[in-house]
Amino acid sequence: MSIFTDYKKEIMDAAHSERMRIALSRAIKSYRSNTNNALKKFPHTIKMAEEVKEIKEKAIGEMEKLVQQACEAIEENKGKAYIAKTAEDALNIITGLVGTGKLIVKGKSMTGEEIGLREHLEEHGNQVYETDLGEFIIQKLNSRPMHITAPAIHVPKEDVAQLFSKITGQDLPPDITLLVATARKLLREKYFQADIGMSGANVVAADTGTLFFIENEGNIRLSTGAPPVHIVLVGMEKLVPTLGEAYKVAEVTWRYANYTVPSYVSLISGPSKTGDIEKVITYGAHGPREFHVIFMDAGRTELAQHPILRQALYCLRCGGCLYECPIFAVTAGYFGDKYFAGVGAVWAAAISRNTEKAAAVAYTCLTCGRCKIRCPVQIDTPEMIVELRRLLAEGASLPPFQ
Amino acid sequence: MTKKAKDLIPPGLVYIADNIISKHNILGESKGSGAKWAKDLNLPKWAETIFFAGCGYQYTSGLESLSSLTRRMDKSVLGAELPMGIAGFQKKLGIDLAGMYRKVVTKGGDSGAQPLRDAVRVLDGLGIKFGYLADEEPCCGGLLHYIGLQQEFARNAQEVYGKLKSLGVKRIIGIVPSCTYTLRNLIPKCVEGYDLEVKHFSEVVLENIGSRELRFPQEVKVTYHDSCQLARYLGLIEEPRRILRAIKGIELVEADWTKGEWATCCGGGGGFEAVFPELSQILAVNRTEELVETGAEIIVTHCPGCIMQLKDGLKELKNANVEVLDLAQIMAMAMEV
Repeated sequence: MSIFTDYKKEIMDAAHSERMRIALSRAIKSYRSNTNNALKKFPHTIKMAEEVKEIKEKAIGEMEKLVQQACEAIEENKGKAYIAKTAEDALNIITGLVGTGKLIVKGKSMTGEEIGLREHLEEHGNQVYETDLGEFIIQKLNSRPMHITAPAIHVPKEDVAQLFSKITGQDLPPDITLLVATARKLLREKYFQADIGMSGANVVAADTGTLFFIENEGNIRLSTGAPPVHIVLVGMEKLVPTLGEAYKVAEVTWRYANYTVPSYVSLISGPSKTGDIEKVITYGAHGPREFHVIFMDAGRTELAQHPILRQALYCLRCGGCLYECPIFAVTAGYFGDKYFAGVGAVWAAAISRNTEKAAAVAYTCLTCGRCKIRCPVQIDTPEMIVELRRLLAEGASLPPFQ
Repeated sequence: MTKKAKDLIPPGLVYIADNIISKHNILGESKGSGAKWAKDLNLPKWAETIFFAGCGYQYTSGLESLSSLTRRMDKSVLGAELPMGIAGFQKKLGIDLAGMYRKVVTKGGDSGAQPLRDAVRVLDGLGIKFGYLADEEPCCGGLLHYIGLQQEFARNAQEVYGKLKSLGVKRIIGIVPSCTYTLRNLIPKCVEGYDLEVKHFSEVVLENIGSRELRFPQEVKVTYHDSCQLARYLGLIEEPRRILRAIKGIELVEADWTKGEWATCCGGGGGFEAVFPELSQILAVNRTEELVETGAEIIVTHCPGCIMQLKDGLKELKNANVEVLDLAQIMAMAMEV
């Protein structure tokens, strides 16, 4: 039980941190109030969420077909598409495209986090800049994200001021406006110096090969628009059949991520091109001339076979459940593995295949069920947790769960 | 349980599971010791409708002292795994460490079972005829399900059903939310032709309350804490509130958000307190704070686990002005039974 002992120590250290508790309780309060307002203002969201649940249920059942379709569409758009069976395959494809000695600007990606993408690129002699403010803080702190949409949720402004003071060599006060401006200054030129921009994606339409990017900071627009090459790593569970369905998934995602509407939603389907001179199509006008999309399986198609645990693949990654979890409220992402809280246990088992960690996380869940009340696609986490515990207790191999 | 399972299941839960399997109660007490609370109530043992008391209330004092032991250990350098592991191991050798400790710290009596006595008086006062199986009452085994021991759970479910049928039971009035959910929703999945009607105490009370005059001895502000199993599993959110609202003298005050299906768990769910005793206490304090903020003088809840947690929360907060009572106790006072 050594993993459990270490894990429990981490969780308890987090639970004893007064600063973290303050940061989290502020975040929970504002999440609930923002989301309630957003849902009140756009009440159709609730019905749309039910539709999205059906869209996801169906799409998860036909991931393999959808990925073929999306690859064809992207190739037709003159992008390049790849299917990575495993995390290792994904890393190899990316290394093949990136090479070494490159400057990379990167948008926040939980899928990247899942396979240790940044570390991998750095090990191969590349310089990687996380451009999402929260993720930038995490990178500089040498920490790991503690929430899927707000990775630095556990870091109070005083700690950010201290960190940025160290980076800039100036004595910066804990003034949030100033700290944001500092990050902007530190990253501004990197977008235009970068050889490659990298990102994840929130949802993918298989028919047109269109990827949706939801954000507020504008860092994804710059990372995916300014450098000459854009590489996307996306999990196969993000695929839905059509552009119209993808839009619905996106709207429900941002609304349950507590936004009436985000500042930016980008739709990208291929490389930048122009036909303005003699109608000759030329690639790389103002945006990237190369557009690569890697669809990663890494256990997802196997997970989709399990009648109960497949629900984990419906997750839109809005992060709503985390704000409702009483344990997350005192431990943040320490209750979890690569993904967090109850649903994180299923990802630990099926995707990261870390049985002991999965057990530790699974037995941390209260099975209280409030996450399910919040979830736009009604993922029954208590049901998944009990099933996962059964598989662990019966010594089933994880996956293919036999 | 296989050895591999025991490696992955935290020791606290292995201990509970062993108790259920070997002694038919979560604490591993000897047969019938849970039934003492009903000794002077003269309830018939054989009846078509039975009151199912469950482990939670019947073993409250034992559970409280065990939890106090593990919490203390969990905060020390040793951690809770050691005593839980040792407790399980020693039991096999015939030494009951937790039991010995319990005898030292238990203040005597079984005050935790008061809600059961009150529930019986309330049902009786409403003219409901029912029996109580006492030392024949089986453990529903719900925790086996939550621990992930489905084979053991299914075996226990068969035994429970067989026993209840052989005793001629047709209807069950449950009071512990988890037992009620197990008997109503989980056991039927493991037993073909399951035909027992299961109702929860609050449903039965509401059905029979009629226009009866209910008055609390004094004017009081009360808040209600939903147990996870009662609200989110059994969907009994309005029933307890309707009962409370029907009692004159009681003003129900509630948090804006954390009530009903959005109620915050007390931190005692699914055996959690046996794995993370200290964290469980932190969650208890957090939930208690939310409830105290309503300005209520009494926190009413309806689950033995929640009662223990919230009482401990008040103790940790050093708040002696607020009391935790079970809905059954409130009803008994309002009916003067």
